[in-house]
Amino acid sequence: MADALTRSMRASHLLLALLVIAALLFAAFGVATDDAFYLRLATEALIFAGLALSVDILLGYTGLLSLGQALYFGLGAYLSALVLMVVPSFWAAFAATATASAVIALIGGLIVNRVRGVYFALITFGMAQVAAKVVYNTRALGASDGLLGVPVININFGVASVSSASPVGFFLFVLAFIVLLYAICAYLLDTPFGRLLIALRANEQRIPFLGYRTMTARLAAYVLAAMVAALSGALYPMLRGFVSPELLFFSTSGNAVIAVVMGGAGTLVGALYASVLLTLLKSVVGSYTEHHLIVIGLLFMSVVIFLPKGLIGIVRPAIARLLAPRTS
Amino acid sequence: MSGAIEYFQFVLAPQILIGLVIGIAVILVALGLTIIFGLLDVINMAHGEFYALGAFIALALASLGLPFWLLLILVPLVMLPIGYVVERGLIQRVFHGGERHVTTLLLTFGLGLVMEDSFRLVFGPNPQKPAVPITGGIDLFGVFLPLYRLFLIVGGAGIIAAVALIVYRTRLGAMVRAAAYDRHMAASLGVPVQHVYAGAFAFGVALAALAGVMLAPIYSVFPTMGRDFIFLAFTVVIVGGIGSIAGTVVAGLVLTQVQALSSLYISPVWSDPIVFGIMVAMLMIRPQGLFGRLGHG
Repeated sequence: MADALTRSMRASHLLLALLVIAALLFAAFGVATDDAFYLRLATEALIFAGLALSVDILLGYTGLLSLGQALYFGLGAYLSALVLMVVPSFWAAFAATATASAVIALIGGLIVNRVRGVYFALITFGMAQVAAKVVYNTRALGASDGLLGVPVININFGVASVSSASPVGFFLFVLAFIVLLYAICAYLLDTPFGRLLIALRANEQRIPFLGYRTMTARLAAYVLAAMVAALSGALYPMLRGFVSPELLFFSTSGNAVIAVVMGGAGTLVGALYASVLLTLLKSVVGSYTEHHLIVIGLLFMSVVIFLPKGLIGIVRPAIARLLAPRTS
Repeated sequence: MSGAIEYFQFVLAPQILIGLVIGIAVILVALGLTIIFGLLDVINMAHGEFYALGAFIALALASLGLPFWLLLILVPLVMLPIGYVVERGLIQRVFHGGERHVTTLLLTFGLGLVMEDSFRLVFGPNPQKPAVPITGGIDLFGVFLPLYRLFLIVGGAGIIAAVALIVYRTRLGAMVRAAAYDRHMAASLGVPVQHVYAGAFAFGVALAALAGVMLAPIYSVFPTMGRDFIFLAFTVVIVGGIGSIAGTVVAGLVLTQVQALSSLYISPVWSDPIVFGIMVAMLMIRPQGLFGRLGHG
């Protein structure tokens, strides 16, 4: 018998399926019209959706607001760029990013998890700021220009391969990648570990009395989130052929937080929807006026005030009710 | 021996004075942040934009021909009702929800985005620099100090002292401290807590705006002017202890001196990582900061 939480997650899965169908239709449309620009833009939206997913693991489950998730996104992007410039292999970049981000997040996690609440937000912000300034001033990492000239790669799966230069091929690859990240997160968060994180958010003092270690759970959530952010970031240089220090800046972290809150924290799928919607909004509003931040800021403020559960919070309970077994 | 004196006179002293000007300005901005957090438990992410708003209002009023000295009084007075309305109309809407820290932080973050883009819309993206109201300078221990910077140091220190006096030595300050310590107890003793909250928020943003007016002739006015400055102010607040006035003053002076003096020996681009590193280290070792919180002990 599935409980209410599992049912809401099933509703999230259903919404994700809708998003994937929409993305496939979009890809077909892109191929039919021979479009590259919008496919590239949509790919970028999906990559940033991965970053938002990572913020949601922390905010929506553990209840910890990270204002510096760009730290790991940027780490993944820079590392992947550096690896690709030496060995143009997706799997090398993937393995390097996964290992390095896990190790660094473990160290970072020990630092930031010493504090909670508002101090957590500030310390993550501070760490990302240190990293951003260091990268910005390090000539070996391209300083303010970033790293240019990341080669086009072929992603080999044994039977087939995808070129990062093919707009539709790479779009579908990133889509599959982000869906996989979502699936892994959704699976892990539905295990007893995930329930422990939700319990942490509800009442941290009570957890030790139930026989669990709060630090281990928080650390695990932090490392998981960091790896999701870093692996999403690793896709960025493959798409754009360069990385720049802007990827580490506060605005990158801030946009991810905006996406999570607008989509609905703790839904996972909300972060993906909102990231895509925000990119769409930016390019639509951006074609009328360059002041899209006013529109996004006002929308964001209204969601915070009027829709604490986000946009997905409007539809998800109804879907969860439909999925509930009929009891008579 | 004379070498050491010359080193002090020509190398150290000018850096210390530059650091002092920035220090006083940061303290003014950080005081508002720390009072708002100490009392309301709200991290005001839009604080840097209120600092910028002060500078822009001053710019607009100056173009009407109002003298600078009048603006120093007028701009904070204009900001008080704005701050009051923002607190009553926006922050109170989410104040009583479950996760106050997170929701108020997010709300003010959104407000900051809207304000910054509005400045760009109304005033354009380019920096504008008002004329320096006092020209000339004096010799201080053999160091040339522009008079306007001297005014910033003296006037800023006076304002900081006045804020401390209001908070610690007046009936109004006692109400603020009581409400910070225990809002329900303060309310039952007849403190109009709602007005104290809104008033303190208004007071905090008015201080930031005042700093904006005072610094405009030196750093010029542009839409993102609040962003760079607010990071430093946040660091000062955290190191000094969120909600502590004495801590803000001490941390503000120390951190800006660290910044100013370290840039003599290593490239100035590293002063930001150093300051943020101090902030992270402080949060790890002593998250409550150097000094205690407003209204507590």
